[in-house]
Amino acid sequence: MKAFAVAVIAAIGLGLAAAYVMDSNRVLAYQAFSTSGARVSHPGTNLVGPQWSGDIPMPSGHKPHGA
Amino acid sequence: MRRGLTLFRTIVVAAALAASAPAMAQQTKDGLNPTGQNPTADSVNEEFLFKQDPKIVGRVTIPDGKAASLIQPQGRDYRAFRESWLPWIGGLAVLGAIALLAGFYLWRGRIKLERGPDSGKKILRFGTFERVTHWMTSSCFIILSLSGLNYIFGKRLLAPVIGPDAFAVVSQYAKYAHIYLAWPFMLGIALMFVVWLKDNIPNRIDWHWIKAGGGLIGNGHPHAERFNAGQKMVFWMVVGFGTAMSVTGLMMIFPFVLTDITGMQVMQVVHSLIGVVFIAGILAHIYIGSVGMEGAYDAMGSGKVDLGWARSHHDLWVEKEIGKVDHGTRRPVRPVPAE
Repeated sequence: MKAFAVAVIAAIGLGLAAAYVMDSNRVLAYQAFSTSGARVSHPGTNLVGPQWSGDIPMPSGHKPHGA
Repeated sequence: MRRGLTLFRTIVVAAALAASAPAMAQQTKDGLNPTGQNPTADSVNEEFLFKQDPKIVGRVTIPDGKAASLIQPQGRDYRAFRESWLPWIGGLAVLGAIALLAGFYLWRGRIKLERGPDSGKKILRFGTFERVTHWMTSSCFIILSLSGLNYIFGKRLLAPVIGPDAFAVVSQYAKYAHIYLAWPFMLGIALMFVVWLKDNIPNRIDWHWIKAGGGLIGNGHPHAERFNAGQKMVFWMVVGFGTAMSVTGLMMIFPFVLTDITGMQVMQVVHSLIGVVFIAGILAHIYIGSVGMEGAYDAMGSGKVDLGWARSHHDLWVEKEIGKVDHGTRRPVRPVPAE
């Protein structure tokens, strides 16, 4: 019975510790996926490209959103 | 003069309409373009896009790149599994296990403690650390199981009984418990693996134990070391399923870190399927460790078991323990009044 009580206390203690650590490092979706202002494209580019052709040059190694 | 000008304008407009009427009639006569072309057929459609990629992805400039996924057909399969198949699979697994155990109990009854010359003496089977590890993992497992089943059956079984508001509160706290108690559970799985691995390596004795039906069929008890083949199966089930549940659970606690939306759905399918089978298996473990066998609970209760029980079910282990006493590496077996 003593072992069971110690085990339950340990489980609750570890659970609370996990809750504290996770909540301390958690970024809510509305924080993680929001911007401070409107942004229509990546810096230095626009939605239609410099020639208005839809051909948008990307910096080397850049992966577009959703790809 | 003015009337003449108005009449002239009217005639010009009427002539223009008359000239354009045949062309309009040609286009709309049977719905086909007179040139024979069908612009709609040549346009990009859903089927064409799915030949390029399993999902249709657009382009977004908000920080959440996942929002670019417009259509992901696998999501329909996942939803069908989640809402149609899983409740049936889970219900059959859990209720089926309970029914089988109830039937076994009615057939076999409780396995009684056999009285013998060693009855009344006690031998230490599990130390304090082992029992704390077991109970920490098992108490977390029970909470994880109930809160996990609530994900599947809560809205179907619990919500109609307690109402939507109470169900929302219960589910919220159940979700917190599920996520936070997963950590001591994972720790417990790791500790059990380290502590009990050396006693759970399968060997030839286990095969003989299985062929003898574990002593459930016929008379007598097959030889067994510290853990018999049935207990070793439980150990490897707990380690294997526990690891799988931990990996898939971590993928859901940290969503989209290592996988995309399809991977997340696969993780949930694997997690839920293993979860219900895990619960069914542990129900059998709980049965045989409590009502199914007299004297078995003491092993995890007080840690000490009846020596006669130990000789019956784990004779080779008892011989080894007594050998340790003879060599002075273990405390002697003390006669303790049976509880």
